Amino acid sequence: MKVFLQLGWFFKQEKKSYISGVFLLLLVALLQLVPPKVIGLIADHVNEGTMTRGLLIKWMLVLVVTGLVMYVLRYYWRIMIFGSAVKLSKILRNRLYHHFTNMSPAFYQKSRIGDLMAHATNDLAAIQQTAGAGVLTLVDSLSTGGFVIIAMAFTISWKLTLICLIPMPFMALLTSWFGTMLHKSFYKAQEAFSSLNDKTQESIMGIKVIKTFGQEQEDIEDFRKQSEDVVKKNMLVAKIDSLYDPTISIITGISFFFAIVFGGKYVLNGELTIGQLISFTTYLGLLIWPMLAFGWLFNIVERGRASYDRVSGLLREKVDITDKENALEIVPCGDIQYRLAEFTYPGESRPALKDIHFNLTRGETLGIVGKTGSGKTTLLKLLIREFEGYQGEILFGGARILDYKLNKLREAIGYVPQDHFLFSANVAENIAFANPNAAAHEVEHAARLANIHDDILQFTHGYNTVVGERGVSLSGGQKQRISIARALLLNPEVLILDDSLSAVDAKTEEAILSSLKQNREGKTTFITSHRLSAIQHANQIIVLEDGRIIEKGTHEELMKAGGWYKKMYLHQQLEELVEHGG
Amino acid sequence: MEEKIELSGREQRKVLFRLLSYTKPHKRMITWAFLLLLLTTIGDIILPILVKIFIDDYLQPGKLEFKPLLFLGSTYMTIQIVKSVLLFFQQVKFQEIALYIIQQLRIDIFSKVQALGLKYFDKTPAGSIVSRVTNDTEAIKEMFVTVISTFIQSGFLLTGIFITMFILNVKLAFFCVIIVPILIFVIVLYRKMSSKFYLDMRERLSQLNAKLSESLQGMSIIQVFRQEKRLRKEFGNINEKHYDAGMKNIKIDGLLLRPAIDLIYIFALIIVLSYFGITSLTYSIQIGVIYAFINYLDRVFEPVNQMMMRLSLFQQSIVAGSRVFKLLDEQQLAPCQNEEQPQSIAEGKIEFKNISFSYDGKRDVLKNISFTANPGETVALVGHTGSGKSSIINLMMRFYEFERGDILIDGQSIRDFSKNGLRKKMGLVLQDPFLFYGTVKDNIRLHNSHMTDRVVEEAARFVQAHTFIERLDDGYDHKVVERGSTFSSGQRQLIAFARTIAANPKILVLDEATANIDTETEEAIQTALANMRKGRTTIAIAHRLSTIQDAELILVLHKGEIVERGTHQELLAHGGLYHKMFLLQNGAAERLEDVVN
Repeated sequence: MKVFLQLGWFFKQEKKSYISGVFLLLLVALLQLVPPKVIGLIADHVNEGTMTRGLLIKWMLVLVVTGLVMYVLRYYWRIMIFGSAVKLSKILRNRLYHHFTNMSPAFYQKSRIGDLMAHATNDLAAIQQTAGAGVLTLVDSLSTGGFVIIAMAFTISWKLTLICLIPMPFMALLTSWFGTMLHKSFYKAQEAFSSLNDKTQESIMGIKVIKTFGQEQEDIEDFRKQSEDVVKKNMLVAKIDSLYDPTISIITGISFFFAIVFGGKYVLNGELTIGQLISFTTYLGLLIWPMLAFGWLFNIVERGRASYDRVSGLLREKVDITDKENALEIVPCGDIQYRLAEFTYPGESRPALKDIHFNLTRGETLGIVGKTGSGKTTLLKLLIREFEGYQGEILFGGARILDYKLNKLREAIGYVPQDHFLFSANVAENIAFANPNAAAHEVEHAARLANIHDDILQFTHGYNTVVGERGVSLSGGQKQRISIARALLLNPEVLILDDSLSAVDAKTEEAILSSLKQNREGKTTFITSHRLSAIQHANQIIVLEDGRIIEKGTHEELMKAGGWYKKMYLHQQLEELVEHGG
Repeated sequence: MEEKIELSGREQRKVLFRLLSYTKPHKRMITWAFLLLLLTTIGDIILPILVKIFIDDYLQPGKLEFKPLLFLGSTYMTIQIVKSVLLFFQQVKFQEIALYIIQQLRIDIFSKVQALGLKYFDKTPAGSIVSRVTNDTEAIKEMFVTVISTFIQSGFLLTGIFITMFILNVKLAFFCVIIVPILIFVIVLYRKMSSKFYLDMRERLSQLNAKLSESLQGMSIIQVFRQEKRLRKEFGNINEKHYDAGMKNIKIDGLLLRPAIDLIYIFALIIVLSYFGITSLTYSIQIGVIYAFINYLDRVFEPVNQMMMRLSLFQQSIVAGSRVFKLLDEQQLAPCQNEEQPQSIAEGKIEFKNISFSYDGKRDVLKNISFTANPGETVALVGHTGSGKSSIINLMMRFYEFERGDILIDGQSIRDFSKNGLRKKMGLVLQDPFLFYGTVKDNIRLHNSHMTDRVVEEAARFVQAHTFIERLDDGYDHKVVERGSTFSSGQRQLIAFARTIAANPKILVLDEATANIDTETEEAIQTALANMRKGRTTIAIAHRLSTIQDAELILVLHKGEIVERGTHQELLAHGGLYHKMFLLQNGAAERLEDVVN
């Protein structure tokens, strides 16, 4: 029940809804007592032959009114209580999202997206269940249960009530116990299901191997066996699930039996009328739900608490990259200096960068080359402050980048990442991502610079073509160029191209580079690339290996030096020849 | 993302009937289930009758005879207990039937998937095929377990109760029948309204999740372009719409679900009570009948509630069912073999005769390919990515059907060999060997359970895999996890070699691994390849030219055509494309400079 305390802030916030919802629930619980009472009265009048037209009309009117009022009240408490629960999950979902947008890449490195999604879906569902059905079962089992028992004891017979209540707690106990068992067996069934899922996935991924060895039949047999296991595990679930109804049936059957046997005795004694006995049995029927609800309550609350703990744990995670006090409120511009002694990724022991020193004058282009894993991307990520905690400093326009407001620093930078990620929106929206208010001609201008304008016009809906996960599939080169356009739209002080030309052909690459040259006069550019042609014309080139600078200079200087750069350059030239068929 | 499917009423019924046809093989079990259902329903109906007898014959007249009462009481408890026990078995039976039906459906789809040609897999993402086999069938299971069985159970109970009501009091029963059309009206109305709102909410939820998942994936972009605030707002809007949809559902449920059914219950109560009240003004009435009617009314409405709550599942299952049947009806089968007069591979001579081939029917990836591999010879295919090497192998392995030209084995068209005959005599090693979940041994033996451990080990020794396998924990019983990601690519390749050699093929088709392989394994692989090729006709894609220098024939492919052919020495002397490729892999820096300039 601790989760109700933990959710106290929300109940307080929504106290109007909850108080009125609970009040309506109580009213309904009271009104529920009316029909059985009326049944008993009518039965007695019929039995004793005292029925009159007026009496009948009066009681039937009472029933009509009770029925209609209950209908209305039942409708409204649902809106109050279930509605608030939906609101709770909305609020928590927004909070989670807000929190996610503040977390740095370090956070995303250690948590899997699938897990984060699960928190935002399954856990929120369980919490919503607690704030809705949990509250309902708590209030309803106490109120309906209480009122019915009071009505039975005080208006009919307290002795009979006591006798007939004896079997009832067993129902709450047993159903709660079944609930726990069901949860466990369901988990196992789920496991069997997911391994069947894995098996299917594997067979489809390995379809060539299976076909090669002509083992289709054998594989189907294997699948049959696994699906057998799924049936077996689900049968256990089915068996536990099928225990509920018979248990309820037997326990209420015993209560009914007691009621008829002992009640019959009291009728003969004259302590009760037959009508009262009939009311009594109808009241017993009303007790089934509160007992079930009570059993349920524990399962709901247990799951809700575990989920709430997970979600609040997630929300408590510290935001690790923040603005310093009195951070500079200006967009930086000017020269960039790296004076880096060492940088190690959190949780790793080997440094990713070591002794990185260079000065880049405003307006210059820096080319960074090196093998995969040599630290090219890391070097850029430090500049956009995706990671901090390095030894040394990076200066931009004379001040340390850490001294700027994060927002201002990033305003100066247009970043084109290695893994070109596009959103499920149309092309224009993707290009105008950083400035949704950009005019159509600005978007088009950026697209032209990135050499993608002509391609876009070929798409079925031009700039309105939806791309991304749910849109048309684009080639890697097209995606890269759209994400270049996205960065160029800002006309940023610093442009970072992180291996962003890898999927375009040599001619397009050249076109993009030359349009950049013309349009970015006086602005700084960082380019990392595997293909040396992309950085050949840079003002400075650094070659990284294992996080250190091993060569540095212009293309001509490096060719003269005859080191790694030259070897690589020649190699790539030959490769290109082969690609074109000699 | 699944494509949205809108089904007309007729299509929905067609899917439903096709699903129901899966019950046919389970006639016996179904008969049992229905028998049990009949018995429990009879139990449900008799119990109130016993109470009625008690009230009318003993309680009201004040007759208290011990013996008949004891008999009545013990009959009541016996029926109660027997009924409850039978109820358990009946419910289990219905679920069992549903589970077996779904299992059969799953096996059918899986078998269908195995029979499909690779062309189908090219155009369909693996995830969506997996979804058909598992998730969609799971949705159908929900329908069988919850919707259909509750429907049948409620139907039985309602029918039974109405029959009994007619026996007890025909006139009153007629009055009670009035509530049936009202109930049906509410159910139909609810189904109509809720399916719309429910679908809307599902749609909103999937939008919400799509937005969240996309944002999590692209978070670094959002942050670097400072769009956190805007996306928070966008997400907030979707969240708000989802909330609105949720509220609408609560309202519909509040208007038409439990509260409405409870209201109808009250009306039914009024009918019954009024009838007795009015009748009692002129006649005398057996009070027990009142009890029985009231008791029956109490039982009628709960199953209706249960059924209605699950109606939304019905819609989903039908959609899932239609997707499943679409896959089951898929026509793109694997290429056919002539099974009537099958040839068997004796020598292993391979001839490609003027083969041209296109995957999409537009662009040819192979143009007029002809070559011959004599028994025991090796033909090596080299060329840049996209030159058509893999396509040759795909045709050779009959993964795809070709129309132009022919492939002959021992002078016979490849189509004239039985499927099994081909598979037994042809071995393929893929570039990225696929390892299955299980042990190393399982991966060599695959599903050939009769293959002895000795044969497995011999095969491993033959391809130089024995040494490294033995060094693993549990040796041949070492667990392979996550498609063999714990092994190096070279080790995976060796296991795949062993798998192929264990099957002892006559023809070997190799797609050499491109990934970096450590020197130690590299050596093992070279020795293994040489061993394997001995006495077998081999077609090999070579990425490292050093491995095929002794091939009898090297074909250099460019854009689907054979541009150079000959032995290693001949091609080097020719100084063309092959020569450049060779330099690229082996040349020292100085030589490179000469060629480039």
